Amino acid sequence: MIQRRVFGTVFTLESAVAAFVFLVVLALVCHAVVRRRAGRQPTPSDRPQRPVLEKYYVGVLAAFAAFLVAWTAWQNHEEHRPPNRTPVRVDVMGFQWCWKFGYPQSPAKVSVTGTCRGKDLPTLVVPTGRPVELRLTSNDVIHSLWVPDLRYKMDAFPDHVNTFTLTLDHEGRWRGRCAEFCGERHYAMDFWIKAVSPEEYDRYLHGQPIGTGTGTAT
Amino acid sequence: MTVASPAAGTEDTGGRPVVPGGWLGWVTSTDHKRIGLLTIGTSLVIFLLMGVLALLMRSQLAQPDLHVVDPATFSQLFTIHGSGMIYMVLTPFAVGMGTYLVPLQIGAPGIAAPRLTLLGYWLYVLGAVLMLSGFATPQGAHAGGWFSYPPLADKVHSPGLGSDLWIAGVLLATTGVIIMGWTVLWTVLRRRARGMTMLRLPVFCWSMIASCLMVIGAFPALLAALALLAVGRADASVFTSNTWNIGYQHLFWFYGHPVVYVMFFPYLAAVAEVLAVFSGRRFFGYKGTALSLLVFAALSMSVWGHHMFATGQATNDYYSLTSIALLVPAGVEYFGMIGTILGGRIRLRTPMLFALAFIPQFLIGGLTGIMVGTPVIDYHVTDSYFVVAHLHYVLFAGSAFGLFAAVYYWTPKVTGAMLSERLGRLHFWLLVVGTNLTFLPMFALGYQGMPRRVATYASFDGFAWLNLLASIGAGFLAVGIGVFVVNVLWTLRKVALGRSGNAGDDPWQAHTLEWATSSPPPRFNFAADRSLPPITSFAPLLDLRERRASGAAVGAEQEGASGS
Repeated sequence: MIQRRVFGTVFTLESAVAAFVFLVVLALVCHAVVRRRAGRQPTPSDRPQRPVLEKYYVGVLAAFAAFLVAWTAWQNHEEHRPPNRTPVRVDVMGFQWCWKFGYPQSPAKVSVTGTCRGKDLPTLVVPTGRPVELRLTSNDVIHSLWVPDLRYKMDAFPDHVNTFTLTLDHEGRWRGRCAEFCGERHYAMDFWIKAVSPEEYDRYLHGQPIGTGTGTAT
Repeated sequence: MTVASPAAGTEDTGGRPVVPGGWLGWVTSTDHKRIGLLTIGTSLVIFLLMGVLALLMRSQLAQPDLHVVDPATFSQLFTIHGSGMIYMVLTPFAVGMGTYLVPLQIGAPGIAAPRLTLLGYWLYVLGAVLMLSGFATPQGAHAGGWFSYPPLADKVHSPGLGSDLWIAGVLLATTGVIIMGWTVLWTVLRRRARGMTMLRLPVFCWSMIASCLMVIGAFPALLAALALLAVGRADASVFTSNTWNIGYQHLFWFYGHPVVYVMFFPYLAAVAEVLAVFSGRRFFGYKGTALSLLVFAALSMSVWGHHMFATGQATNDYYSLTSIALLVPAGVEYFGMIGTILGGRIRLRTPMLFALAFIPQFLIGGLTGIMVGTPVIDYHVTDSYFVVAHLHYVLFAGSAFGLFAAVYYWTPKVTGAMLSERLGRLHFWLLVVGTNLTFLPMFALGYQGMPRRVATYASFDGFAWLNLLASIGAGFLAVGIGVFVVNVLWTLRKVALGRSGNAGDDPWQAHTLEWATSSPPPRFNFAADRSLPPITSFAPLLDLRERRASGAAVGAEQEGASGS
């Protein structure tokens, strides 16, 4: 879950800096309002500018901006580094208003879809510990595949394939959503992403439903 | 003055007399003050309508699984709310302020090309009416969001007439704003009074220069995007190709980011003027601020791709670089504002309250703007309520507070009467509570996974109580805006009845030239029998007061010396 980790690092740092800047500015405003109120008879300053101080200040701002750009770009490249082993491939198709997940490498040509009405949400099954390459496209309007717990989303365009790779390190089930407004039932265009053990995933590709693998003994 | 003022009352009306005070006199006026007020008044009326749409949305989202409106109607509500607030309220209001104030602030008798300015206003009104008339069509108003990406906005996926009306309306209104932007820029560059050098322009005039440069440079890209959309609606095969889908996004955002600063600079500058006047000193760091506005405007043309980080089809590193670089000019502007109040003698009148609240509230919008300009953060929060919160902190907690500061500050000049201070304070506090209660929870909602533009959400999503808080906040906003409307209408009625009492030429002890004429100013701004004060800096009236004070002090000293 590299996406979640990188997001966490960068978001924490930027939030901390933002909170610090906000508190400093708020303190300055409060200080001015309390200490420089007309009732306390302060003398208005006649200093129209402080160019030297301003130059240093701009220097600090520029240096911080340079750091932020470089560091976050580096984090972004870390996040998108090509996987060190061949990924499992899943074809994702968004449509108005649900998803279709196809497994091109599966012998049984497994393909899952649903109606996204009520509890009929399609499940995207992936193995734990192995990189999974999602190939996103759409057959009508633009959609966007978002897994909030993964802290990542990517748009699905018609006539275009976007890819990204994710690796889930433990078993579980998470909610996925459509993030790009795509019409009337946009709000309901949800799916599940389920990480299972590589063995169970293998059985899944052979056409066995999830959760039934252990009991088969013939 | 560079233009000769025609004698009052001899305006060419084609032979038929037009009563200047009548409605025909207003809607055909070539007086920049009237055109400015028409623009401002129209946008305030649309502002109220858009607020009603927002209240409907907040009612629908107050709890999970509500059915106040159906999803199709909800999509129309957020589309028209967003389009209305951006294309028909905050942008025209900003340009309308420029139309009213710039000639006064530079000591000119009128605006350059007044008939063209009036044409711009009427195109804007026509566009607004067209867009809103979508609600009267069988399938309702346009429902593709304010940026209306194809293919969703094409004829196949949005067959309604409302979408065509939306395209035509936005196109006309934007054309009108471009024309008005041209004439304001022309005025500030070519119609300045003698002595009004570029570096003696008030901060507000600098903000209009930067804004109009962006209007001229970036708004035509919106016209191109809309033309592309119109072509695609005529021929559905256009948007089967990815090239035109992503191409539309590039065209749109080339307009769509500079417009944010057009909706920001004039309000920021209004706040800057208010801060300086109510701090009893000249604006601190004037040159830095003027320069930063220009740098900001230039950079704004290079950041559009940060709206497209999640498309997988933008050069994220580059757009992140230019976006984060914006923190430098933004920081310079904060340096000026904070420096002004730190060395001031602060009078807490209503305009000042709004201006002071602008500083930390807009800052929340700005700081979260750096976050969404960072790709690895944006992947998660884009198209979520985090972005909704961010843009409302910029445009409502920021720009709208600047707008209200401007209204309270300039109303005595425009009408000759003060707005009620007591109602103004009530309006202010209701708005501060309402704004933060409405928009702060949205950051958390987006972080937790609530996508924007959802018509409802499930109870197990866990979004219920934060949404409820936001909806309660919207109630505070509604009451606050109601108080504002009462305040304005009450004051206007008193003016109409002649019971308002005169605010005087300069009730706030202000700095700029519009306060050196009567309230309201005469037809050609500065009466012939009353010469302009010497324009010695960007705060000529402050200079005048300082000279008089030192003159009086010297006089008193000499008197004392001769007496001993």
